[in-house]
Amino acid sequence: MNVPLRRAAYAILGAFVILIGTVTYIQAVEGPNLRDDPLNPRVVAWRTGRQRGPIVSSDGTLLAVSTASTNDPKLYERRYPEGDLYAHSVGFTSVLFGSRGVERTRSSDLVSNRDSTISGVLNGLLGGDTNPRGVRLTLAHALQEVAAEALGDQKGSIIALDPTTGAILAMVSYPRFDPNSLIGSDAGTAGEALESDPDEPLRDRGIDQTYPPGSVYKVITTASGLDTGLVSPSSEFADPVALELPGSNSTIQNFNGKVCNNGTAVELAFAFVKSCNTVFAQLGMDLGGNQLGFTSQAFGYNQEVPFEFSVLPSVFPPPSTIEDDPPATAQNAIGQRDNRSTPLLMAMTAGAVANGGSIMIPFLVEEVFTSVGSVEQHANPKKWRRAMSPASAAVLSDLMEQVVISGTGRKAAVPGIRIAGKTGTAQVTGKAPHAWFIGFGPLGATVDSPQIAIAVVVESGGDFGESATGGSVAAPIAQKVLSAFFGIAETG
Amino acid sequence: MTRRAEVGLIVAAALLAAIGVAIVEFTHGDWLGAQAALTFLAFVASFGGVHLAATRWAPGASSLVLPIASFISAIGFIEIYRLDRQLAALQRWSLLVAAAVSILLLWVIRNTGVAVLRKYRYVLLAAGFGFLLLPLLPDSWPMHGATISGSRLWVRIDIPGTSQVLSFQPGEVAKVLMTIFLASYLAERAEAMAVVRRRLGPFKFPEPRHLGPVVLAAGIAFLVLIYQRDLGASLLLFGIFIGMLYVATGRSFYVVAGGLLAAVAGFAAYSSFDHVQRRIEAWIDPFAHYQDAGYQTVQGLFAMGSGALTGSGIALGRPDLIPAAATDFIFAAVAEELGLAGSLAVLAGFGLLIAAGFGIAIRSRDRFRKYLAGGLTIVLGLQAIIILGGVLRLLPVTGITLPFMSYGGSSLLANMAILALLLRVSHEERL
Repeated sequence: MNVPLRRAAYAILGAFVILIGTVTYIQAVEGPNLRDDPLNPRVVAWRTGRQRGPIVSSDGTLLAVSTASTNDPKLYERRYPEGDLYAHSVGFTSVLFGSRGVERTRSSDLVSNRDSTISGVLNGLLGGDTNPRGVRLTLAHALQEVAAEALGDQKGSIIALDPTTGAILAMVSYPRFDPNSLIGSDAGTAGEALESDPDEPLRDRGIDQTYPPGSVYKVITTASGLDTGLVSPSSEFADPVALELPGSNSTIQNFNGKVCNNGTAVELAFAFVKSCNTVFAQLGMDLGGNQLGFTSQAFGYNQEVPFEFSVLPSVFPPPSTIEDDPPATAQNAIGQRDNRSTPLLMAMTAGAVANGGSIMIPFLVEEVFTSVGSVEQHANPKKWRRAMSPASAAVLSDLMEQVVISGTGRKAAVPGIRIAGKTGTAQVTGKAPHAWFIGFGPLGATVDSPQIAIAVVVESGGDFGESATGGSVAAPIAQKVLSAFFGIAETG
Repeated sequence: MTRRAEVGLIVAAALLAAIGVAIVEFTHGDWLGAQAALTFLAFVASFGGVHLAATRWAPGASSLVLPIASFISAIGFIEIYRLDRQLAALQRWSLLVAAAVSILLLWVIRNTGVAVLRKYRYVLLAAGFGFLLLPLLPDSWPMHGATISGSRLWVRIDIPGTSQVLSFQPGEVAKVLMTIFLASYLAERAEAMAVVRRRLGPFKFPEPRHLGPVVLAAGIAFLVLIYQRDLGASLLLFGIFIGMLYVATGRSFYVVAGGLLAAVAGFAAYSSFDHVQRRIEAWIDPFAHYQDAGYQTVQGLFAMGSGALTGSGIALGRPDLIPAAATDFIFAAVAEELGLAGSLAVLAGFGLLIAAGFGIAIRSRDRFRKYLAGGLTIVLGLQAIIILGGVLRLLPVTGITLPFMSYGGSSLLANMAILALLLRVSHEERL
């Protein structure tokens, strides 16, 4: 009488064995695939729906804030009160498009650490602070606003930093986008439009785009010459209309197609101030591709720049490809051909001159603070690398000051403040040139007195198009930012 | 296992529920105390109350079933509390009421034993049919049926003078009444039904008049399917009939015939009803029907997959994204937040409960008690398999509750009554 009962029991318990096998397969084997399935709204919805701490600028402007959702009081909504101004630095966190910027990199500080882990529960029971942390950026809102306005609607980037610490003071890239548009009901269409926009507004041109640096690279060529002892400011070079490049039919001419000085001889200092291509192409060939590559690397070329975000490495061609190719060496020496750099690295290059030859690690987060305002982590400025000797830096600093006083960078001059700089007009085949300016200030009695270094790049000449030069387009933009930094009203 | 150990395990389960509630409260940033304490008291009062009633009126009862059921209930309750605190507050009351009904049941049969149920078997059958048909009451009546997500399984009673509505799922009670009737009917007729004289090819089958109950079972199940549009309830009813026929007669003919009938009925339903068709298609490829019929299944799979081995932690997952997470898909919600570890604990709990139930049936000397305990255990097991199979995509998704875990007063009431009957049957073997 019990046999059928036993069989029924085996059948039902057997079905449970199948259920156990299936759930094990779903959770243990298929689990990661299901969790990461693009249709699974779970992970991102959970991450974005939690309360997040505030992000503020160094001068206290609120850049990102969480408020309780009106639909569901258990969930929070993220808002970015400054709209597109911090699109690339603060970034965003959205259900459909994931997260970017500091919102991504500091996510673990910004979300509440109230959880059900043993340490989380213990921490809560012992009265620890389980509220999300806030993040204070190094960006100064006042400077950021001026930089955005100065660049206007020209494609390009401005990066300003403190050369003695590496703190990023302003970071603007155009075109931008409003991170608020990626949250809410129209996020899907807004995000897809951004992703397919040929102008790539999602790209941070300051760190995620390289440009030929043009004549601003002459700072590095000069540093190489000074550091190796090959030249001094008073070294004399030939002054041809066109520099013939050995082993080829091509020549290098100066920007205006004329001689640099008098057609016979020119001093390095004079050539630097006028930005004569012939002289620096010759200097580059004198140094050789190997030495130029070595100095470039000292300035951070071909390296991962340690930063809050991943930075596209700037590229100087490998010595093996140009060492026996003087024309290539000459063109790379004046920031053309295969030479590519990010605006960030060029700002750091100006910073290296300002800071006695040393490059500090750039950083964007000043501090992480708790909900009651006490500082939990504070940025700790560190030296990244030695780009050149302090003596070379001092010489370059003088040369760059002359550029602003009497050379191509006159439009960057700020009344009453000693500014140093270098312009660049990077030629691009078939397009208008990129306008560059890098500089720093104020110059003073000690080498480490400069408080700000800046790089400006305006893509394809901006509003000036074909007729653009670094001096006419980028230098005035830098001037506005520097004036604002030093609290001096614009001179117009 | 001793009575004292049983009390200890029940208190442990109550403590588990209370700690779970405290964690949910804590994660939401609220104070830890009141809700956890209420939950602890409700669990101790209900399962402890049934335990005390059993000690008094069924002292020989098995001490296995209550601790296991309280453990499963605790896990389910934590997840319900995490999903919706108002539902959880209602569920706490339901638990107390269900326990009170179980205690009442134990008291009523304290002298007569379960045998008294045999006397009233036709009353119980009629009541069972009545309950099954209740949801068909027209909407305009004070007591009326209600259609929820396409299935007409609910009955609502408008409380006069107020806007409040009492709603329950009579099918849950019907399944218990039907099981009692079948146990009683089969205890008398099984021997006749087990005689198989006629042959057709390799199959032996009984006198045609003995086929009546099978046809009846299929008929009722199909009727439920048509009028109430509920695959789960009809599958469960049909399974109970076939399962109990097999247990009573030992003839696999009933299982084969039942399987064939189910296949024919299933095919007929598939070809005539759109909602069945959509369910089946969504079962075969839920991702292709993500926007509609497959949505719930896919969300359940996402939940379980996201839970992985150890789960997101209580109140840290997103089981609220699964439709009907607190009822049909409670298992997926638990699997997300407690991970595979929690899933296996729950399945092991059900396995133990079912094994204990079959143990009680096997030890029973009396036919009726044997079929009753066996049938009630089959109800629990089959119901769990049908809904878990749906959640795990082994079967098409059906809307029935997971015993002791899903939110729902009627389900809790029916399953607590099953526990009381199992306790009483196990007691009677020791007399």
